[in-house]
Amino acid sequence: MGLARYTLYRLLQAIPVLLGITIITFVLANLAPGDPVQLMLAGQEVDEELVEAIEQQYGLDRPLHERYVTYMAGVLEGDLGYSIHWGQPVTELILGRVGPTLLLVLSAYAFAIATAIPLGIIAATRRNEPTDHVSRIVALFGVSTPSFWIGIMLILLFAVQLGWLPSTGLVYPWRGPDAYAWIDTWPELLYQTARHLLLPMIALGTLQMATLMRVERTQMIESLHGEYVTLARAYGVPERTILRKHAFQNAQLPIITIIGLNLSTALSGAVLIEYVFNINGMGRLFIEAIQALDYQLIMGITIVFGTIFVVGVIVTDLSYAYIDPRVTYGEEE
Amino acid sequence: MTDPLLRVENLKTQFFTDAGTVRAVDGISFEVREGEIVGLVGESGAGKSVASMSLLRLIEDPGEIVAGEITYKGETIFGLEEGPDGELREREDMLSNEEIRTQIRGNEIAVIFQDPMESLNPVFTIGGQLREFIELNRDLPKDAAKEEAIRMLREVGIPDPEQRYGEYPHQFSGGMRQRVLIAMALACEPSLIIADEPTTALDVTVEGQILELVDELQDKYDTSFLWVTHDMGVVAEICDRVNVMYLGEIVEQAPVDELFHDTKHPYTTALLNSMPRPDRTVGELEPIEGVMPEAINPPSGCRFHPRCPEAREVCQRVHPDAREVAHADGHPHRAACLKHDVFDAGYDESPPLETATQETAGVPAGGRSTGGPGGEDGATDLKDSVIEDGGEPTDGTRSDDRGETHE
Repeated sequence: MGLARYTLYRLLQAIPVLLGITIITFVLANLAPGDPVQLMLAGQEVDEELVEAIEQQYGLDRPLHERYVTYMAGVLEGDLGYSIHWGQPVTELILGRVGPTLLLVLSAYAFAIATAIPLGIIAATRRNEPTDHVSRIVALFGVSTPSFWIGIMLILLFAVQLGWLPSTGLVYPWRGPDAYAWIDTWPELLYQTARHLLLPMIALGTLQMATLMRVERTQMIESLHGEYVTLARAYGVPERTILRKHAFQNAQLPIITIIGLNLSTALSGAVLIEYVFNINGMGRLFIEAIQALDYQLIMGITIVFGTIFVVGVIVTDLSYAYIDPRVTYGEEE
Repeated sequence: MTDPLLRVENLKTQFFTDAGTVRAVDGISFEVREGEIVGLVGESGAGKSVASMSLLRLIEDPGEIVAGEITYKGETIFGLEEGPDGELREREDMLSNEEIRTQIRGNEIAVIFQDPMESLNPVFTIGGQLREFIELNRDLPKDAAKEEAIRMLREVGIPDPEQRYGEYPHQFSGGMRQRVLIAMALACEPSLIIADEPTTALDVTVEGQILELVDELQDKYDTSFLWVTHDMGVVAEICDRVNVMYLGEIVEQAPVDELFHDTKHPYTTALLNSMPRPDRTVGELEPIEGVMPEAINPPSGCRFHPRCPEAREVCQRVHPDAREVAHADGHPHRAACLKHDVFDAGYDESPPLETATQETAGVPAGGRSTGGPGGEDGATDLKDSVIEDGGEPTDGTRSDDRGETHE
C-alpha cells in the first residue's frame, strides 16, 4: 500500500469515529436537563398550543433517532443547526470563531516545538550538568502549573506591571490592515498580531513545551546510546553531524506522536486561555454556549473539536509513516 | 621482522562507577601484523569489546584508558608519560581527538559490530549510510561515493545492489545486513578491521557464509582483522593467531594450531572442552564450573584459580603475567599459568586446592567472599594467608565494597 492509499484508508477509518462522536454528543445533549422551547420562551407564560406548535416546527415532537437522522443530514451539508441564543446558524457562528482558536493553538505548538527540541537536546548532551537540572525544574514547573494561572500571571507582570504587552484580544492578520482603524500597513498589522499573540501563546504552550522537552531529552539520550551512533563515531563522523542527523531523526518519532495526541489538551487549554485573554475564539463561544444552554451550538462545537482532533491524529500517523520507513501502512509482510 | 601494524602494550581501561572501579581491561599486550586475522577470545564480560573499542579511543564515560600504549603504523593512538610534576600525562605525540577521528577511525581502522540491526540506523537507507562513510573516509564526491557503495554491495554478495541501495535496514535479512556492515568496513579501505562478534547474532549457516566471505575478501584486500569472539569454532576457522582473555587479562597467546593442539592454560583447555570439536570425540561436553567473577573485584593471585581444576595454594597468592612458555612458527606461545616452569613460583610443591575449588566455584566474586559456605579448616587458613601476604591490595574499604556488590 502506498502513502496515498494509506491516507485514504486512514480517512475512511475516521468515519466511524466521527459518527460515534456525533451520536454521543447528540444523545448527551438531549439527555441534559433543560427544555429548549422553555429556554426560547425565556419564562413567558404561553398556552400549550404555542409550545406544541414550536415543537412541531423544530421537529422536537419526533423520536430521538429520527431527529438524529435529520440532524446528520444537515451536518453532511455543512448545516450544524440553528443557535437559538444568538439567532444565527451554528455553522456561521463557528466559522467566525475558528480562526482565532487555530491561530492560538498553532502558535502555541510552534512556540513549544521551537523551544522544547533545542532545550531537550541540550539537556540530553549535558546530562546531569547544571543545564540539565535547570531544564528539569522548568519542565516540572510547566507540567504542574495550570495554563490559566500562567496566563493570569503573565498578564499581571507584562501587561499590568510593566505595560509592555496588551492583555486582551487578538489582531487577526487575515482581515488585512483596513479592518483596523488604528493600523495602516501590513508590517504593522503583523507586528500587532505578534504582540497580542505572545502572552496567550506562552500561556498555552508552556505545558506542551515542558512535556515535549522531557520526551526529547529521553529520546535523544536513548538515541545517542544507540549502536548506530557508536558505529557513526567509529567511522569518524563528526560529533555535530551525529547529533543533528544520526541521533536526531530517530529521536523525533515519539515527539510527533505526542504532538498529535496532545492536540486534545491544547484545544481544551485554548478554551481557558481564550477566556483569560478575552479572545473571541471557539473556546469562548463554547463557554458562552454552555452558559446559555444553547444545545445546537454545544453540539456543533463538540463535533468541530472532535473533527479537528481526529484529523490531527491522522496527520500524525501520516507524518510518522513518512519519517519512519519501518511503518508499513498496514500491509501484510 | 617488520614492525607490526598495531601494537598494544599493557593497556588498562577502567570504568569508575559508584560501586567501585571496574578494571575491564587490566594490562593486556598483543600485536596485529599486516594481513593477519588475530582472535580475541573469551567469555562475556572478559573485556574483549572494551579492549577493541579502546583501540579507537571510543570509551565512553565513566570509562577511561588509564595506562598502556597503543601504536598503530608508528602513530601513537594512546600513550602516557611522566610529567615534571611526577603525574602521568598524555604524550605529546599522541594523536588528538580530532586526528583520531579524521585519520584513524574508518579510514585506517574500521569496525563491524555484533548486531547488524542495531548498528544500522533504521531511518536512513542502506545506501545513504554507506555513501556517507565512504564520502567521509575516502574524500570522494557524492556520485563517486555512491558508485563505490554499489560496487561494494555487489562485492559482498548482495544481489541487485542498485535497487537495494535505496532500501532500509529493516528490508534486509540478518545475514544481508551483516554483509552491508562488511561492505561498509571494506569500502573505507582500512588496513585493520575490528570485528566485534560479527557472526554471533546470525544462525549457523549464515555464519558459515559470512566467514567464507571474510576469508575471501581478506585474501583479496589483504586487510588485517582483530576478530573478537567467544566462539572457539570461529577462531579455529578464521584466525591466524589467538589471544585468550579472562577477566581483563590475556591468559594465553599463541598461533591458532598451537593453541588448539598444545594448550598451555587451564582456562583455554576449559573453553575448548566446553564446546564440541570435530577433531575429538567426547562423550559429554564439560562446561566450565561457576561464572566469571566481576571485574570490579577480581580474585587475588591468578584470577582463574577459583574455577581452575588445576589450582594450587600458590595460585591464590601469586598473580602470573603472560610469559613465553614455548615457541612455534616464529611466534611466541605465552601463557599466564604458574604450572609452567618459567614462573618458578613453587607450584609443584604447593598443595592442590581441590576442595576450595568445588566450594567456591559458584561464588561470583571469587572464592574469598566472607560468609560463604567455604571456611572449613584448611580453607580458612589459606584465606588468612592471602590477606597477610597481600597478593592484591585488600584493605578494609575494598572488602566493604565487595559486600555491597554482592547485594
